[in-house]
Amino acid sequence: MHPIFVLFRKSVLHFTRNKAAVLITFLVPVVLIALFGFVFGLYKHVDKGPGGIGLAVVNLSSEPAAKDLIEALKLEKTFYVITTIDNPDGTKRPLTEADVRAAIHDNKYRFALVLPADMIPDDGFGIHLKFFSDPRNEVETQMVNGILQKTIFSRVPQLLGQSLQHHSRKYLGDERFETFNRKMADMVAATYGGDADKIYQRMVSGDFMGIRSLNTPKAKTSTDKASSTDADAASPADIFSRIARIETEQLVGKKVSNPAASRLVGGYAIMFLMFALSGSATSLFEEKRSGIFQRVLAAPVRSSHILWARFLFGVALGTLQLSFLFLAGKVLFGIDLFSHTVPLLSLIVVAAAACTAFGMLLAAISSSPEMALGLANLIVLVMCAIGGAWFPVSLMPAFIQQFSKLTIVYWSVEGFASILWAGHTFIEMLPTLGILAAFAVGVMALAVVCFKRSSMFD
Amino acid sequence: MLALRSVTKRYGSITALDNVSLEIAPGEFFGLLGPNGAGKSTLMSLAAGLRTPDSGEVLLADAPLSKVNLAARHVLGLVPQTIALYTDLTAEQNLRIFGQLYGISGRDLKSRIDEALESVQLADRRHSVVKTFSGGMQRRLNLVASLLHRPKILLCDEPTVGIDPQSRNAIFDYLERLNREGLTIIYSTHYMEEAERLCSRIGIIDHGKILALGTLDELLMQLPFEDEIAFPETPATATFAAQLTAHGQLSTAEGTHRFRPRSGHPLSVFFADAEKTGVATRLFEIQRPTLEAVFLHLTGRKLRD
Repeated sequence: MHPIFVLFRKSVLHFTRNKAAVLITFLVPVVLIALFGFVFGLYKHVDKGPGGIGLAVVNLSSEPAAKDLIEALKLEKTFYVITTIDNPDGTKRPLTEADVRAAIHDNKYRFALVLPADMIPDDGFGIHLKFFSDPRNEVETQMVNGILQKTIFSRVPQLLGQSLQHHSRKYLGDERFETFNRKMADMVAATYGGDADKIYQRMVSGDFMGIRSLNTPKAKTSTDKASSTDADAASPADIFSRIARIETEQLVGKKVSNPAASRLVGGYAIMFLMFALSGSATSLFEEKRSGIFQRVLAAPVRSSHILWARFLFGVALGTLQLSFLFLAGKVLFGIDLFSHTVPLLSLIVVAAAACTAFGMLLAAISSSPEMALGLANLIVLVMCAIGGAWFPVSLMPAFIQQFSKLTIVYWSVEGFASILWAGHTFIEMLPTLGILAAFAVGVMALAVVCFKRSSMFD
Repeated sequence: MLALRSVTKRYGSITALDNVSLEIAPGEFFGLLGPNGAGKSTLMSLAAGLRTPDSGEVLLADAPLSKVNLAARHVLGLVPQTIALYTDLTAEQNLRIFGQLYGISGRDLKSRIDEALESVQLADRRHSVVKTFSGGMQRRLNLVASLLHRPKILLCDEPTVGIDPQSRNAIFDYLERLNREGLTIIYSTHYMEEAERLCSRIGIIDHGKILALGTLDELLMQLPFEDEIAFPETPATATFAAQLTAHGQLSTAEGTHRFRPRSGHPLSVFFADAEKTGVATRLFEIQRPTLEAVFLHLTGRKLRD
């Protein structure tokens, strides 16, 4: 056989025997591509279920168009629309403005739309809405803003029609308003055909002249016409802002100087920490191979001493790495760290502990450093993808979001956002700190058990 | 001082040690000779308390030795087969770490490190990173790292594998000195020359069993011959060689005949026969049998097969 083919065969054998290389080459990219596919909705045949970004809607308006707008929002796959809240007795009641303000502060959801009682004001033209937000994740926020605008403006013609009907009723009085609409309906029916009663009902609901069926670009043309008499010199943005007056209020993170960086640094810092600590734990194999464990264990040292020393080192290294990355974030992006020193340091330590324990578990369940490295690549990348290190968890299907909460990345990233974005105090952070500490203790305990059953210290 | 009583150790279906009993006296230089895979390292790790036997017991000063008996570790020192050092650290840093594991600190630790480095001629390289050392230097450091806590028993698991003769001799000299000073040494090797040179008593191990145990002379006595006579394989010696088979065992390899006379066949008769057949006596070389011959006699295999 030609030397080229002999050496080629050698390379094939070498590759196929290296499980880590096979894992990284084939499985890791497939898993990540699959996850990105879920996020970007590439699976036409997969029902995403009640997923989407949580959007609370408070309806204080009695206008029929308000209900239509809510229905339209529910049809948007991007949103998971919440309109009710559970009472203590288990019954449900409609959300109030106070409910959504509190829930946004508690990070139960991050966006709320209020349709106020004066959604279609008596004394003005257009519609009035309130929008509350916690824009802790810029990707998510931009998506919500975009889809919300699209949905609202696709309903503008009907809302505008209702607004005109209101004004007509106010200036004409009920009797003359009824007579006017009746005669108009009769005339339209006589001229173009159709049922005069149905035409009347559509006019009263604001859907006169088929305006309700117009899509957004057409609606934009009609509103331009409608407003041309009093705002010829106005820009299109002014026109829209007068048609739909949306009061926006950011409830959380108002004082954050660089919100995008706060999340970016948190997400990527935790990803690199997991890689670093997994690598560090796999060095246990090197110490075993070199016989150092044999020498160390011949001294008055237990295997548990080796493990806990390694754990402590991991926590120290992780704490140092995360602190350094956040300091870099401060220098590069101006992230405010020193207003949150205690909760941030506490979270850094428990996150480092949880990540270290994870690395130790990987080493404990692997039979070789190559296997540990392959598993680390697979699990860390998947955890980062579904845990929210790269893109918001809310963009993923509901069933994946359930797994998100089982990852260290999710609690770490959410924790960093809660501190740096929402300004949570140490006390407010205790649940998150507790969860990460439980991760650290539980995973480390599992790692110790697995190490005892493994041949690491034989 | 150290005793193994009917010790058996298995790894799955493989029996690494099979009912081994052994007793090491204080001050002894005991050699454990056997080929690779014979069970030497398993026996050493049991003697170091790193493993627990499946049956039988290992006793140190009549007290059972186990993985949890940490106090006993102060009495024992283990020189692993591999270079068990942090090669990215300096010689001194390595010794400091291993000394501290035994609770030695401060000036005491410093003086012990100085002494250890002096004793293996590494004092001038104390601040050098270990990976820059030659194989022999690493082996020497590997040895003294096990002596900082001044153990009473030193377990050396093939401590000279892969080094040059000069470094090997330096290690031998150092170990002999330590033994003279009263250190008990258990030394495993597959080099018969090492066992012959160093050990006052030798155990021959194969397939997890101690096949023979005794001083070098006691082991050689187990051979059915006392001497081995080598002479060249030439046409002139062919007739004489053919006659020898009646008086002992003759083997021929690589142009050399080796004759092992049967007990009771005196050398004077051998030389008289040689003269009769016209073979010059200067061609003969009388050799003392080696442990290799003992191993071959016991197992039917060569030590390095």
